[in-house]
Amino acid sequence: MMKRFTSAVLSKRRALLACCAVGTVMMASPAMAAEFVLGSELPLTGKLARVGTGMSEGIAIAIDLANAKYAGQHHFSVQTIDDETNPAKAVAAVEKLASDHVVAITGGYGSNIIGPASEAAAKAGLVYMTSGGVAPELTQRGLDSFFRINNADGYGKAMVGLIETMGAKSVAILYSNKEATAAMATYVQKALTDKGIKITSHEFDDTTTDFKPIMNKVKLQDRPEVVAMIGYENDYIGILRAGAVLKPDVKAMVGVWSLATAQMNKEFHDQVQGVYGTSPLPYPVVFKGGEAQDFAAAYMNKYNREPDYLQQFGYVQTMLLIDAIARAHDNDGKIEAGEIARELRATTTPTMIGDVTFDKNGDNPNFTHRMGQHQGDRVELVWPANAATAKMNYPAVPW
Amino acid sequence: MLELILQALYSGLLAGGYYAMIALGLALVFGTMRIINLAHGELVLLAAYVAFEMERSFGWTPLASIPVALVVVGLTALVIYLLIGRIRQDRELNSLILTFGIAIVLTNLILMIWSADIRSTSNSWFMDGVVLGDTLFSMRGEVIFCVIGVLLLAATYWWLNHTWQGRALRAVASNRDAAKLMGVNPARIEALSFLVSGVLATFAGVAVYTASVVFPAVGHNLTIKAFVITVLAGMGSVPGVLLGAVLIGVGETLTTTLAKPSLQELTGMVIFLLILFLRPSGLFGRKGMVKK
Amino acid sequence: MKHRMVVLVALVLAYGAVPLLLGSMDYVMSLIIAALTIGGVALAWALLGNLGGLVSFGHAAFFGVGAYTSAILVVDHHWPVLLAMVAGGVGAAVASVATMPALRLRGPYFALAILAYGHIFRILAVEATSLTGGAAGMLSIPGFPTLLGINLASKTGAYALILTIVLLFAWLYGLIRRSTYGLALRAMHDSELATRVVGVPSTHLKAAMLVISAFMTGVVGAFNAHQINFLDPEYAFASSWTVLPIAAAIFGGYRTVWGPVLGALVVFLVDQLVFKELMPSGHQLVFGVLLGGMVILGPHGLLPLLGRWSKKEASHAGA
Repeated sequence: MMKRFTSAVLSKRRALLACCAVGTVMMASPAMAAEFVLGSELPLTGKLARVGTGMSEGIAIAIDLANAKYAGQHHFSVQTIDDETNPAKAVAAVEKLASDHVVAITGGYGSNIIGPASEAAAKAGLVYMTSGGVAPELTQRGLDSFFRINNADGYGKAMVGLIETMGAKSVAILYSNKEATAAMATYVQKALTDKGIKITSHEFDDTTTDFKPIMNKVKLQDRPEVVAMIGYENDYIGILRAGAVLKPDVKAMVGVWSLATAQMNKEFHDQVQGVYGTSPLPYPVVFKGGEAQDFAAAYMNKYNREPDYLQQFGYVQTMLLIDAIARAHDNDGKIEAGEIARELRATTTPTMIGDVTFDKNGDNPNFTHRMGQHQGDRVELVWPANAATAKMNYPAVPW
Repeated sequence: MLELILQALYSGLLAGGYYAMIALGLALVFGTMRIINLAHGELVLLAAYVAFEMERSFGWTPLASIPVALVVVGLTALVIYLLIGRIRQDRELNSLILTFGIAIVLTNLILMIWSADIRSTSNSWFMDGVVLGDTLFSMRGEVIFCVIGVLLLAATYWWLNHTWQGRALRAVASNRDAAKLMGVNPARIEALSFLVSGVLATFAGVAVYTASVVFPAVGHNLTIKAFVITVLAGMGSVPGVLLGAVLIGVGETLTTTLAKPSLQELTGMVIFLLILFLRPSGLFGRKGMVKK
Repeated sequence: MKHRMVVLVALVLAYGAVPLLLGSMDYVMSLIIAALTIGGVALAWALLGNLGGLVSFGHAAFFGVGAYTSAILVVDHHWPVLLAMVAGGVGAAVASVATMPALRLRGPYFALAILAYGHIFRILAVEATSLTGGAAGMLSIPGFPTLLGINLASKTGAYALILTIVLLFAWLYGLIRRSTYGLALRAMHDSELATRVVGVPSTHLKAAMLVISAFMTGVVGAFNAHQINFLDPEYAFASSWTVLPIAAAIFGGYRTVWGPVLGALVVFLVDQLVFKELMPSGHQLVFGVLLGGMVILGPHGLLPLLGRWSKKEASHAGA
């Protein structure tokens, strides 16, 4: 049994060596039409399968549009490996991509998975670019090759900004005890307290399905003007359901990611009316500006649906990475991690999610999300004012 | 504070009726065959997903999907029964591993067919609020299924004690060989108990679908809840199942209200271990089943 | 004599050939390391089953406790990694003492009680935020040091480390088995999954086996923490740390010392290299089928089947 296994691996190894030889030869010639293979490690199965698939679609569109943009000069492709929403498998996926000599890695979802995966990428000398890991610790590790276009603070800033605009004096914060949500809760708690707003906090376990006890506490003890929810899809639905039964006297329900989306509007239409969440773009999508429209058209063409925030992020992160790779290559033919990282940090780029700059920790300090609100069959952007597509409906609750 | 505690008690009671429905199927098979079917939670989940599919593809209300779910779950339960029958030695422990394996297969099948997305009903009728005396809140679905749960328990209790098949089942449970001598076919009775367990699981599954959310991993959690309640109840006691379920339900809601919501699951586990160590035969069971 | 030769050749292959041939393929080495990790737990599980007569459904509990103990000692108290790993094993052993009330329970109930403990430990890990980092877990856990000139943090180094750990435990297992107690058990050999012997092993001996099994699992858990450099409660106490070792042990033959480890290598590698390609979503199904199939068809696992088959061949050849 061992023998057969070994010989199978051996012949695979020979094939790999051959590919590597060809690849090296191809990549060694500078300033000529070059072939770049990006690596992508994502959850395509497991708990985060839906978000991982969404991001991979955005990445695919970026590849297609990049090939159109750089036609004749460079050609890009992506190799994707499923990390099964598992940290160890993510590390293995990154190692496999590294051994297949990809140029850089774009992908990753879930701070607890991105952590080890990006460390593996750093060990392998690869840049790791993501939009799926917002926890603060990720950019505090001193990794030169780690980059992300969004962060928890950006979501927090949007939520706090909206609440401030509403003029609310008291807020109840319900948050899941998972890493990213807990970190965001801490940020929001501090920011609101600093502004003199009274807050109460309730932490819940991510396996909670019945939110009535918590909502009852909020209704009877806290009596806030606004309820802030920091969790994931099933948490929001649970909280909103509990609210529909208990009907607490609040003026707004505000959430963060995965709430102000087309899918939520379609699947849970009545339950999300008037509810706020972060959203880069309104729904139905109205794209302004050349690149955004190209993106929307290409996506509609390929997948026959309208793109959502996941695809948008996947697209933006990959496009930035590709442009940096192209610049690094054209400048001096070198595309090691250090070169790509330098190029990423060198410019401020206008994108669909606003201007993106990378600081020395790989974070994008410009990142501030926008707040959308479910109004009827649409999701309108209501904050900040300069990105708004409609007026805020306040006070408003789904019950 | 009083209002909060009252609400917690009320919610816990409702949850109890509904948990009892989930646990009863497991308890029944446990009582008859001394087998803990670790795939029971997946049977419940399967029913929930059938209800989801019927709603998604045909727009049926969850109650209408019950007949379809009954067929699907019933057949699956029978298959499990047949597989258990193939075990040649040490059935008690081997069936544990076998059903553990079947549970993994079912969870992954559900994952492959319906993906890992969170599903729940968009049928808002079940989610409308029902208010008692202005202080006690619940969802219509919760009340309905609590009532259905209690009714099913009562029906099962009556069936076990007042019909021929039910009594045959109890006979087989207490003494298989003696039952054989009395003309009872143990194999048929055991198959029957599995089928009934499937029926109970079906109702439980539809309840879960309307009152809560489902995703593939839920099956495992349901199984754990079910066997905690089964052990609490003690072998062979239907009223025990109701009491155990209410105990767990109220324990959970009180923990959420008085302490932290994230400790909910801990309460159930601690109660489980306490019972195992202090009164292993459960609240109503006979001694000698669990301890050596 | 022949047996010694086989062992020697196997050792040479394991320590020499594998790193030489596969060392540069990080991905394959990662898989082998993961398979050996599973194998280590499978070995500990089988030890508890065979020598202690106890089937456990929650070895993930000891795995996680070992992982966290070691990680916390290194990150917060700056212990050297290898020493902390041993301490991780001790931590898991101490945790197993908390599970000892369950020893009075009969087979299936013990199994489920350990399962409950696993859940409890996981919740405790989530709640004890100041100690364990809570639900967020611990990031950037230091890796292995350089020992005797070998960088244990490299793929081949880590492989050598886990291989040594597994071999050590297998040797320990064999030692206990050959002792008076072990001999007595095997003399009363029967074909049941849970050793139902006349003269049930005394509670003290069972407790000892539980402690040893927990220790081994804890060390392997600690190894994993420093290899992935990351921990969170859901990962450390994941049910796959229970399910995969059981599947591996049953497949490979839980009655032998080597069965579980070889079972782990085969099952895990085949799952990752073959089934994952065929069924990207839900390939874990295979483990379920494996568990069910083995229980019904061959409760003794693959290794004994192979042994019997080769003996049959030999006898035919002689005929």
